[in-house]
Amino acid sequence: MKNIIKYTTIVFVAGLLMFSSCKEYLDVNTDPNNPTVVSPDLILPVAQKYTANILLASDGGGRRINTLGNMMMYNWSQSDGFAWYPDEFKYLVNSSFYQSIFEDSYGNALKQYTVLEGLGTEYDNYKAIAMIMKTYHFQLLVDIYGDVPYSEALLRGENTAPAYDDAQTIYEDLIVKLTSAIALIKTTSENVAAETPKGDVMFDGDMTKWIQFANTMKLRILTRQMSMTGRETYIQTQFTAIAAEGSGFMTEDVAINPGYIAGTEGKQNPFWNLYGTDAGGTQTLTSKATCATDYILDYLTTQTNDPRVDFIYEEPTTGHLGVPQGLLDYDTPTPDAYVPELVSNIGPGILKSADQSAVIYTLAECYLNQAEAALNIYTAGNAKSLYEAGVQASFTYLGAGDATAYLGQAIENVSWDSSTDKLEAIITQKWIATNGLTAEQAWFDYSRTGFPAGLPISQLASTDDRPVRLFYPASELTTNTANVPTQANAFTAKIFWAN
Amino acid sequence: MKKLMLLFAFFSILGMQVYAQKTVTGTVTDDAGDALPGASVLVKGTTVGTMTLGDGTYSIDVPGGSNTLVFSYIGMETQEVSISGDKVDVTLKPNLEIDEVVVTAYGIVKEKREITYQTSKVDNEEIMRSAPTRVASGMVGKVAGLQINIQDNGVNPMSQILLRGYRSVSGNNEALIVIDGSIASQGAFNDLNPNDIEDITVLKGATAAALYGSDAGNGALIITTKKGAVSDKVTVGITSSYTMDQVAYMPDFQTKYGTGWEGAYDAVENTNWGPRFDGTLRQIGPTFPEDHPLETQIVPYAPVADNLRDFFQTGNTLSNTVYFQGGNESSKFYMSFGDQRARGIVIDDEYRRNTLRVNASKTVGKVEMSTNVSFLNDKTDVVGSTIGDQDRTLYWFVLNTSANIPLSQYSDWSNPLSYGYADNYYNAYYQNPYWAIGTNRNVDYTNRLNGNFSISYDILDWIKFTSRVGLNNSWGTGKNWRAYQDYNPALQPAHGTVASFVEDFEFQSATYNFDALLAINKNISEQISLKLNLGATSKLYNYRQSEIRADNLSIEGFYDISNFTGALDVNVDESQTREIGTFADLTVGYNNYLFLNLSGRQDWTSTLAPGSNSYFYPAAGLSFVATDAISALKNNNVLSDLKLTVSNSTVYNSFNAYAINERFYQSSGFPFGDINGFFLSTTAVDAEIAKEKLNTTEFGLNTAFLKGRISLDASYYMTKTTDLITYVSSSYASGASTKLTNIGELNGDGLEVSLSGTVLKTKDLTWKLFTNFSHEKTIVTEITESVDEIALYTTGQYGVYAVKGEAFPQMKGNVYERDPQGRIVVDPVSGYPIEAEGLANLGSPVPDYIVALGTNVNFKGFTLSATADYRTGHVYYEEGSDAMEFTGRSLESVSANRQDFVIPNSVIETSPGVYVENTDIQVQGGRQSYWTDVYNNVKSNYIKDATALKIRELSLSYDLPKSIIDKLPIQKLSVGFIAINLKTWLPAVNHFSDPEFQNQKSRGGTTVPANAVGLGGYMQSPPTRSFGFNLNIEF
Repeated sequence: MKNIIKYTTIVFVAGLLMFSSCKEYLDVNTDPNNPTVVSPDLILPVAQKYTANILLASDGGGRRINTLGNMMMYNWSQSDGFAWYPDEFKYLVNSSFYQSIFEDSYGNALKQYTVLEGLGTEYDNYKAIAMIMKTYHFQLLVDIYGDVPYSEALLRGENTAPAYDDAQTIYEDLIVKLTSAIALIKTTSENVAAETPKGDVMFDGDMTKWIQFANTMKLRILTRQMSMTGRETYIQTQFTAIAAEGSGFMTEDVAINPGYIAGTEGKQNPFWNLYGTDAGGTQTLTSKATCATDYILDYLTTQTNDPRVDFIYEEPTTGHLGVPQGLLDYDTPTPDAYVPELVSNIGPGILKSADQSAVIYTLAECYLNQAEAALNIYTAGNAKSLYEAGVQASFTYLGAGDATAYLGQAIENVSWDSSTDKLEAIITQKWIATNGLTAEQAWFDYSRTGFPAGLPISQLASTDDRPVRLFYPASELTTNTANVPTQANAFTAKIFWAN
Repeated sequence: MKKLMLLFAFFSILGMQVYAQKTVTGTVTDDAGDALPGASVLVKGTTVGTMTLGDGTYSIDVPGGSNTLVFSYIGMETQEVSISGDKVDVTLKPNLEIDEVVVTAYGIVKEKREITYQTSKVDNEEIMRSAPTRVASGMVGKVAGLQINIQDNGVNPMSQILLRGYRSVSGNNEALIVIDGSIASQGAFNDLNPNDIEDITVLKGATAAALYGSDAGNGALIITTKKGAVSDKVTVGITSSYTMDQVAYMPDFQTKYGTGWEGAYDAVENTNWGPRFDGTLRQIGPTFPEDHPLETQIVPYAPVADNLRDFFQTGNTLSNTVYFQGGNESSKFYMSFGDQRARGIVIDDEYRRNTLRVNASKTVGKVEMSTNVSFLNDKTDVVGSTIGDQDRTLYWFVLNTSANIPLSQYSDWSNPLSYGYADNYYNAYYQNPYWAIGTNRNVDYTNRLNGNFSISYDILDWIKFTSRVGLNNSWGTGKNWRAYQDYNPALQPAHGTVASFVEDFEFQSATYNFDALLAINKNISEQISLKLNLGATSKLYNYRQSEIRADNLSIEGFYDISNFTGALDVNVDESQTREIGTFADLTVGYNNYLFLNLSGRQDWTSTLAPGSNSYFYPAAGLSFVATDAISALKNNNVLSDLKLTVSNSTVYNSFNAYAINERFYQSSGFPFGDINGFFLSTTAVDAEIAKEKLNTTEFGLNTAFLKGRISLDASYYMTKTTDLITYVSSSYASGASTKLTNIGELNGDGLEVSLSGTVLKTKDLTWKLFTNFSHEKTIVTEITESVDEIALYTTGQYGVYAVKGEAFPQMKGNVYERDPQGRIVVDPVSGYPIEAEGLANLGSPVPDYIVALGTNVNFKGFTLSATADYRTGHVYYEEGSDAMEFTGRSLESVSANRQDFVIPNSVIETSPGVYVENTDIQVQGGRQSYWTDVYNNVKSNYIKDATALKIRELSLSYDLPKSIIDKLPIQKLSVGFIAINLKTWLPAVNHFSDPEFQNQKSRGGTTVPANAVGLGGYMQSPPTRSFGFNLNIEF
């Protein structure tokens, strides 16, 4: 009996003890698995990897900007036996069509860069990198959507429904931001305490290259506006400023590589992972399903004798075979004319290896943009030699060797001298040089210039031409109802620089 | 085992000290004069007791000095009778329902009359009618306001337990589970052996459970397990059941067109876009080369009846429980051992579990000690869920088999000379499902120890102190693996190689509860009674799980993580929460007919920042027993009881550990060599985040007519949830896709009515009927100024949302654009319907109302019972139909005979707002692409009426009569036939599956939140029904 009372007392007292140290008892709300603060060298590589994903493909195999560009620019089609690209073939621009471009740009890459941009002055180099990379994404967003959230964007919980800014205003501010970023780097480099950023998987902390890339971003932004009327003074001012800064443009392909390796899930180059082989080394279904169009093959072979064809497209043993976009009925005229093994899938110059770097801005484009600037006499450069350097850079990247013989052919838009419209030659070459890599650039140029001329559209299109922009994603319609603009006509409402 | 049983029985009997002085005999009957077998007879003030036999007679040896016997029987008033002579006959009167006692929060026992909110009780007999393998399925339809959704029909099914629908957008809406006074979990509930349950009291609303603080909001199931019975011997019993489980119905598919693509025959297609069936012999599968031992396969081009259904086998479930119980006035015990083995309808799916329970109590003077402990271990061995190179579920592979394929002939998948072999299989795109079974397995083992220990002490005869320690621990391990498979490119050019993997995981979950309770029970005057309970409680929860995944194994068939190539994927998750609470519960009674109840709880939680982590939970209620208060109603033979209640409470729902901080997570793919990387959470957190508030008001009516022969209970309640803890979708442009914040308001109300009664009662026949009706609706009245809806889960084309002004949850989907008359607007060029901008509200997945009906007929020894329920007014997204549209097996896809056609009742918009009837513009691609690319893109085509009428259970049992039992060495023998989910009626538009099924868990890497219900239809195997037998013997 006494014992029982004793035990009861013990239980009761134990209970009381538990409550007495209440404050410490409850102090267990620190996540043991996920930190609340991390250093910038752990944030930057993720941001850059996201940049590559948004351009090329998500790790899970989601199609992104480059695929959109290749479908819009009639570079790719669909192999027999697959129903892989029904929406692309129909130009089905709606609020779910490629919505991840918008969502991942802000939600993944720009979010990470914004964390870096908010760092203290001891991290000026990280801040500058973040600012430059943000302009890369914002330009793409404007080029694809027009007006987008900018000045109120990326404040997270503080503003969950940011207002939309005018596309051209954003464009102008991007130049300002790039100038500030360059200034920040230059100030920093004079500062002895400034450290080389770690975890930079684009330029390995080489701040000179970051300044060159900033200038090269300015080049892309300015080139895009060159077809606008009344913009000449502005553009000229900016080119003068670039020249005055003096670091020049990039002299290599701009690429991201966090350390892609073959054979491991999530660690392969995302483009390879989607269009090449999976981590187990097996050719993916998307790889089999994606092939050249008939038109591009004809253009590269019969019309221009372009040695790059075998690098951009894989040649089956039976010879190159392309499929018209939108062709679903494979049984006419000949049953199974397009057997998967007989079509030209993406080639070895584009799909190099599982650990290849993710190119986000080709050297070819850099030269061709400079050529256009020179053509318009914004710079002192020689348009012809810049044009030829651009084509050579494309040959070099693809592994197609020397371009001299190709450029020597007296064919329109091949030889500079034989080309009646030099701009058409530049844009047409950019279309070929960005094929499979950054094909969205050719799509923007097409909206702006109408080149390359005569490009067919999908057989399933219900419009006369390809889209000129995308719709804002469904998520914006529901979460940012008050601000999101009315969806503009995807086929006629061109982005400001194309008007 | 049997030896052990006998030995145990022997010692138990020895242990009881009996000093016989005098033998008393007699008969116990009810007020109708019928014998009461199994009534308890006790000598007052001693441990001497017995039970009446089948004919109601008893015989007891009364020790010298004792002169009173206590007779008791469930549902009857206990009666004390002084011994005069050696024969005592007793007639027990039925307990009025209002005088029953109810176990409420923290084990506080109250009389039903003084309870100011609604409760409901289900006893073992009702739960066990159809010998369910899980307690939840034995409760479906039996309590108004309780909605149990059996969300899958695998060998180890999971259920969702909802009381009065939904009150929280992002928080938990499932009922709290309390076992023997200690907080447990839905997992612990699922792991209970149904045989062990004495009864379950359902505390329907937050007010009833308010003492549980932030666990109270969803009501509670208060489970009491069997405690043993007072008896002069140990009862040993065996309960067995065996059921056969078979596919109840398959999706309705078209059977006019077979294998092919764009109207042309294709021997290797999974799709049914071929020509119309014509019965001719055609090749299926690859063309084998000349030197191949197999001939190219030729079958008639005609549908094979039940080709998919025949893939499934008849499963079976065998359950056995052995139990022992006994006791005397001072100590009681109940022990059971259960064994359950199930074979699924999918070949090789197996489940096995063992349960063990020991409940014991001992009273020594003023102290009572008791312990209730159960242990479970189980093994689940089922087909994997990420099959093939596309990580699909098994059903996908079954459904992707064309109508003309004799699927069941492909079972010999491992034989290279069989058509079922990977290289030889007919389907060029999806693998043989038999192959899938053999090459993809998920095997896991779990254990659970759930129980408590309590001591109570009667300090004075009106003050009692109780202290209780409860634990609910579960832990387990598992291994999922997939075999490598490559293909002969000559035979299977389209197949991608299937990569191998093995996942090894383990988890540990532990909850500890400490409760201390001081119960004061005193009548202050003749009129005024007072009951006061003061309590203190503390809860700890620890969780840890780890998972290691190895891909692309180097040794085939060896499933160990050491076998990896590339990199291991390792993940560890831990979480810890703690809570402290104190509470008081006061009931003041006036003349035993008017009661005022006031209660309050103050608690502190670890999941919020110090300083803002303490909350007060008040509740108040009144109960008025009119039949005792108003003299005109007293002793009334028609209206026996009339009780009215009203109550109100405010409780707050808490949230998860760590949620108040924005965190970084290691990014996928990282580390790359020595470069590691973390990303900032996609969720932004409001710095001012607080608990969400739930206010509940309830009006109740409890009546009994004709001395309890008919009873009618009704309640109406209103709930209001404010400061909802919600993951509000933010614009992605904010850099976070969701924001965790307090917003908005939900308003719910509901009506519950239960009616039960004895329709017929004669000497041999008793016929009882019960029915209940529940209606519940929660409307989102506000979200935020700028946001009108929150997506719980969405694909952009359909999803589950909270939408302002609409019932919660709400299914949304994309729809056709329609003119003001409701006609579909089509494109004047393509003839395709135009899709309207945005998603439309298409209804709630919560039934508008549920009606359940049950009956119970006793005739001599036979008992026939049945329960059915009807749920309607809700919708569900038929994921299966959506996913299968591509394969051309939908009934819709043959509605225009695979021709281009004019969409009926469609219009063309000739100029803005002007619509002209479309008579001639046909959709293109009617033979295939219209269906796969256009029709399939409009998801409202797959959001369907979820109405269902189900006969949940039907049983016929027979109890061996007393006259035969007496000649056998047993006390009881009962045998029965049982049927579960015997028949389901669905509306014609529902072609696919059971709308109760839920494809939860994760999809496309996104975890589907628990409240995103109504997404169902195909990730499990098809619905089943079960038939079988059960048996109960007691010795």
